[in-house]
Amino acid sequence: MGADLNIILPEIILSIFAMATLVGGAYLGQDRLARPILWATCAVMLIIAFMVVQGDTTRVAFGGMFVDDGFSRFAKGLVLVSGAAILLMSEGYMARRDLLRFEYPLLVALASVGMMMMVSAGDLMALYMGLELQSLALYVVASLRRDSVISTEAGLKYFVLGALSSGLLLFGSSLVYGFAGTTMFSGIITTLDEGHLNLGLLIGLVLVISGLAFKVSAVPFHMWTPDVYQGSPTPVTAFFATAPKVAAMALFARVLHDAFGNAISDWSQVIAVLSVLSMFLGAVAAIGQTNIKRLMAYSSIAHMGYALMGLAAGTAFGVQAMLIYMAIYVTMNVGTFAFILMMERDGSPVVEISALNGYAKYEPGKALAMLLLLFSLAGVPPLVGFFGKFYVLRAAYEGGLAWLAVAGVIASVIGAFYYLRIVYFMYFGDDAEEPLTDGKSPVLWAFLMVPAAVMLIGVINLFGIEGAAQAAAATLVN
Amino acid sequence: MSLFFIVALPFLGALLPGVMNAAGRSSCAGVTFTVSLSAFVGLLTNLPAILRGEVVKARIAWMPELGLDATFMLDGLGFFFAFLILGIGLLIIAYGRHYLSRDDNMGEFFTYLLLFQGAMVGIVLSDNILLLLVFWELTSLSSFLLIGYWKHLPEGRQGARMALTVTGMGGLAMIGGMLILGQIVGSYDLSVILQNRDLIQADPLYLPALILILLGCFTKSAQFPFHFWLPHAMAAPTPVSAYLHSATMVKAGIFLMARMWPALAGTTEWFVIVTSAGLITMVIGAVIALFKHDLKALLAFSTVSQLGLITMLLGTGTAFGAMAAMFHILNHATFKAALFMSAGIVDHEAHTRDIRRLGGLRHLMPVTFTIATIGALSIAGIPFLNGFLSKEMMLEEMTRTVMFDSPLLVPVLATIGSLFSAAYCFRFVGHTFLGPVRDDYPSKPHDPNPGMWMPPAILAVLVVVIGTAPFLAEPFVKLVTASVLGIEAEVPKSYIKIWHGLVPALYLSVIALLGGLVLMLIFNPLLRLWDAMPRPEAKTIFDAIVAASVSAARALTFTLHNGSFTRYAMIGAIAILAAGYHAWITGSVGTPTRAVQAAGPVPIAGWAMLVAASLGLVLLHRNRFLSLIFIGIVGLMVSIGFVYLSAPDLAMTQFTVEVVTIILLLLALNFLPNRTPVESTTLRRVRDASVAVASGLATFALAYHYLLRDAVGTPISEFHLANSYKGGGGTNVVNVILVDFRGFDTYGEIIVLGIAALLIFALTETLLRGPVRARLLNRVPDQPRAGDMHPMMMVVVTRVLMPVVLMVGFYIFLRGHNEPGGGFIAGLIVSIAVVMQYMASGFSWATARLRYPYHGIIGAGVLIAGFTGIGSWFVAKPFLTSDFTYVRIPPFEKFELATAALFDLGVFLAVVGAVMLSLESFSRLARRASSQDSEHPMDIDPSREEGALAPDGTKPEAG
Repeated sequence: MGADLNIILPEIILSIFAMATLVGGAYLGQDRLARPILWATCAVMLIIAFMVVQGDTTRVAFGGMFVDDGFSRFAKGLVLVSGAAILLMSEGYMARRDLLRFEYPLLVALASVGMMMMVSAGDLMALYMGLELQSLALYVVASLRRDSVISTEAGLKYFVLGALSSGLLLFGSSLVYGFAGTTMFSGIITTLDEGHLNLGLLIGLVLVISGLAFKVSAVPFHMWTPDVYQGSPTPVTAFFATAPKVAAMALFARVLHDAFGNAISDWSQVIAVLSVLSMFLGAVAAIGQTNIKRLMAYSSIAHMGYALMGLAAGTAFGVQAMLIYMAIYVTMNVGTFAFILMMERDGSPVVEISALNGYAKYEPGKALAMLLLLFSLAGVPPLVGFFGKFYVLRAAYEGGLAWLAVAGVIASVIGAFYYLRIVYFMYFGDDAEEPLTDGKSPVLWAFLMVPAAVMLIGVINLFGIEGAAQAAAATLVN
Repeated sequence: MSLFFIVALPFLGALLPGVMNAAGRSSCAGVTFTVSLSAFVGLLTNLPAILRGEVVKARIAWMPELGLDATFMLDGLGFFFAFLILGIGLLIIAYGRHYLSRDDNMGEFFTYLLLFQGAMVGIVLSDNILLLLVFWELTSLSSFLLIGYWKHLPEGRQGARMALTVTGMGGLAMIGGMLILGQIVGSYDLSVILQNRDLIQADPLYLPALILILLGCFTKSAQFPFHFWLPHAMAAPTPVSAYLHSATMVKAGIFLMARMWPALAGTTEWFVIVTSAGLITMVIGAVIALFKHDLKALLAFSTVSQLGLITMLLGTGTAFGAMAAMFHILNHATFKAALFMSAGIVDHEAHTRDIRRLGGLRHLMPVTFTIATIGALSIAGIPFLNGFLSKEMMLEEMTRTVMFDSPLLVPVLATIGSLFSAAYCFRFVGHTFLGPVRDDYPSKPHDPNPGMWMPPAILAVLVVVIGTAPFLAEPFVKLVTASVLGIEAEVPKSYIKIWHGLVPALYLSVIALLGGLVLMLIFNPLLRLWDAMPRPEAKTIFDAIVAASVSAARALTFTLHNGSFTRYAMIGAIAILAAGYHAWITGSVGTPTRAVQAAGPVPIAGWAMLVAASLGLVLLHRNRFLSLIFIGIVGLMVSIGFVYLSAPDLAMTQFTVEVVTIILLLLALNFLPNRTPVESTTLRRVRDASVAVASGLATFALAYHYLLRDAVGTPISEFHLANSYKGGGGTNVVNVILVDFRGFDTYGEIIVLGIAALLIFALTETLLRGPVRARLLNRVPDQPRAGDMHPMMMVVVTRVLMPVVLMVGFYIFLRGHNEPGGGFIAGLIVSIAVVMQYMASGFSWATARLRYPYHGIIGAGVLIAGFTGIGSWFVAKPFLTSDFTYVRIPPFEKFELATAALFDLGVFLAVVGAVMLSLESFSRLARRASSQDSEHPMDIDPSREEGALAPDGTKPEAG
């Protein structure tokens, strides 16, 4: 027991911190303490991230329900660091709009605990626990702006659809349990014999996949994404676009490989279909958008499609490609959302893409950074985004899914159109519109510039992330 | 010099112009020139090796994991292009120094130019196709910056956007092609790929790869149907147009086709796609060029046409075609860059590029006139100029080319293309320089300083030298051709010479030249015809396609994501059905292991009730009160179902929960309209119904399938049955699970239940303090309220029932451990008894008689349960370990005492508290709405002496 607790020490620390601060905050000053609580949360999350990535062995706790391996550490590091980054970015924006509630950082912390649980799950029940802990916290932050109808509606839609997907996941899990006789991933995988799954397990599997697809917002379970992205306060949108996506994607990989790794042919095609639908819908639907947050929603749908492509390959290389893709994706999104957070005019946020007309003239530095990020999002070489895309394309091709790789290329061509459209607006748009003025936030500026620089400098060796991802993937697929 | 250094120099040097910007325009251009020159000299140091036929290579591992290495190679072809890029680059830099005005930011311009130069050199020296891709897109990026350099021109914006869209997308498509190619061969090294022609061309993915790669090439080199972006990119400063759009960038596509020639060329697919695209481009470009009035537009379409010519030559797949193509690339680079620079000079001096406003410049600008004339006549194909030689070779090759089984198609079209080429060249010279001197130029033109005319002059000299002494260029052209052909073919033996004798190509040349002259003579009527002719404008088509795709995308998006929740749910449901169907057809279905049991009349009747109630609910759901009744029936039938399936505990729980929820719903209905309005169309209802029925059938099929098959392994219930009495001291397994096996869960659950109730309380409190309170107070019920709100009969019955129900509750609680029952059910039963008092006599009457607040009851329940659990610590057992014993107190029989009962008491209290607190909270809302409080249990005071209550609610004084 003591050893088990030791293994989940990071999770315990973060939960206790969140709960203790919640109680303390409620009694000692509520929103007046929001700022210090936010900073403390960031610090704690970063410290835990540091703690987590120190590990180098595979350890299991609670009889295998909780797994601490290279894969989970990679994902946890990504989740925690991006969560902390988003929190730091939120501070100014939320404070100026009177949205900075002291619960907000704590909800993010609790969601992060859920995500850490998800990526370490070694059991269907542990999976569900982590997923729900995360989702419940996210439902609340989605409707953080309680006095806005659109935000509330978004939160409600997210909640109802999320509950539906959780139901699916549970139904699927119970079917899997019924036909495998165990909820442990390590047990499920031994019950699968070579060849085809029996119907019970297969239906359980597709239902679990459907439930998880909802969490990564893969088409056709993506419907909540644009509404929630648009309705939530922008920092919350940024959070939605980053850490939870990593966690859900990692969970996806874990379930598919740890529990169903012997039946790759059974799920590979399903994942491939999700992937191709996501890529195309994300690319096509984003074209018509005028709201940059909604556009980012479709963009993230498309990007999830690419990440799923790596997963569909069903190989260790595919998992590695997916991890690299997610790491790059998160970095790009942090930068892009820092930019979106800075888009304002006379203190009120602006989300219309047309407001960027002529932006490069009065903000050349930021426009250039955004240009780099957008080109990277589009996957244009030599920026780092290209390498991510190339990894997954190659993984799909080597996994025998050449059609998927070709489809991915075509989708990326379509997708390039709307990213480049923003660049066009910034550099060549009419300057009839009134210029945007931003709050001159050094934090946001740094969060824009650093990812943009990473897109450029990362070309040298991707900051060594390849090796880490390879090691992580090796612990998952063997 | 090392290849790395040649490629890196422009990139590193790109930092310098920006730094030197402050030091003045000349030093800025000077440093740029020095950087380019160093790279150029570095390239030349490799010339001896190239001449020996060696291939210079350099390699550094970059991302080996991805197959991406920084590998460079320099062979004849690479040297040729690098020579063009760096050499013409030097001239452009010199020219640009004088061309740009004082207001232009020269540092920025030269930085972009060097970036572009580096990227171009990178393309032609890469030995790794991924590396090539990287440089390829870098040219798109830097050219985008260069084209957009003059940001103030609106057409510059349009042009930059179109150029970026078209070439960017093409480049992305090429990634796919390169990926496939690399996978087929197993290496991303060009030198390996080029040696695996048979492997590549036999692969089923050859065609997709070819198409994707050609998409990249065609977009970059402005080949039909992507030819339209190039002329629109001409808004860029002339040095940019000259460099990017004639000499280098647009040749990148050509270069790649030449590079890939050994691996991809020679198949029918290659021939048909490449040759026809080239042919069409050549003719279209030449025809349009004739009718353009803008000098640069004319030259742009001329470039398009010439690139088409080269593409067409490469498309033939013959060694001679390749040699002609290489030769023409060299010639085109010389004369076209010279022409562009001349046009730039004219623009610079006369302040207009409109041919209609020019003419007679021959006398004013003799030097420019000479240069431009040499260039133009070379394109037209006048002997002793280099264009003649390569055009001859082209025509010769075309006479041998048979397409679509027609030996005439290709030569005829090629001749028409040449004819129009000659015509626009004549027009370029004739309408700009010849004719009388005019007096209405926007600015008085004269020859510029030598810094501007020297660069084109150098090129013009080359045009003449190659044209008169082709043997000077021949070894070089053959060297380049050899490296294009690789191991796949031999370099043709034929010589490049001016006089071949009376061959068909010569006749065609003559026809083209004479035809061009004729066209010039009838130019004015032709122009009128052209202007009157409806013709598809490629840019309009492009814009229309973009607009159409945007609106199509928008339509699709708004159909799918219209914000309607039902639509989202429907799409989700259909997707799940599809996923399930996929699993159903691909999974292996085992044979049933259980038989279908016969159904007696009772279950069928129950089932029919259930179905009828569900159907009734669906059909009559607009009447909300009716639907509540139907929901009640459904719940009741489910409870009965549990009874029938021998699950009395579940049945009791379900039953009591049903009662409580129906009461809760009733309270909610109080605030809602009676009926749901009709908003959906019949069509939509039919659609929704079909999705619903499909989902229902799918669930049925799934259930049917599972019920006929045994589950894997032993059910967990067997463990519970075996251990229930032994370990938990109870024979009611359900109760033992709740309070013992899963006691910890239950403990958590009652806490959650309590928190939920407290939250409901807190929410209603907040609501009632907020603006909702006013709305509630002002609310007028849409139906008349019952006159007799607290009927006497109900009051009397509930009072009588109260002790009885409490007794039942107590009984259920006590027997719980061994017989169906338990704390949870007992809690619900007692709650119902209390709720009935509220319903009968009203909220305030009941609240006034409430002795213990519900908060406290919840807390007590949780605490009791908690302490019971902690109790086991005192006997050194884990939390919530249960124990039981049998005692005998004399007048009674022996009975069991279990700690589980104490725990169950906690559950009981928590349930009572939670249910009551939440119901009470909801009814507080109702109370606010109808603030008729009474202090009597019923509206009619039974102890009255006369009449009803006085209006103020007080009892009138007796007598």
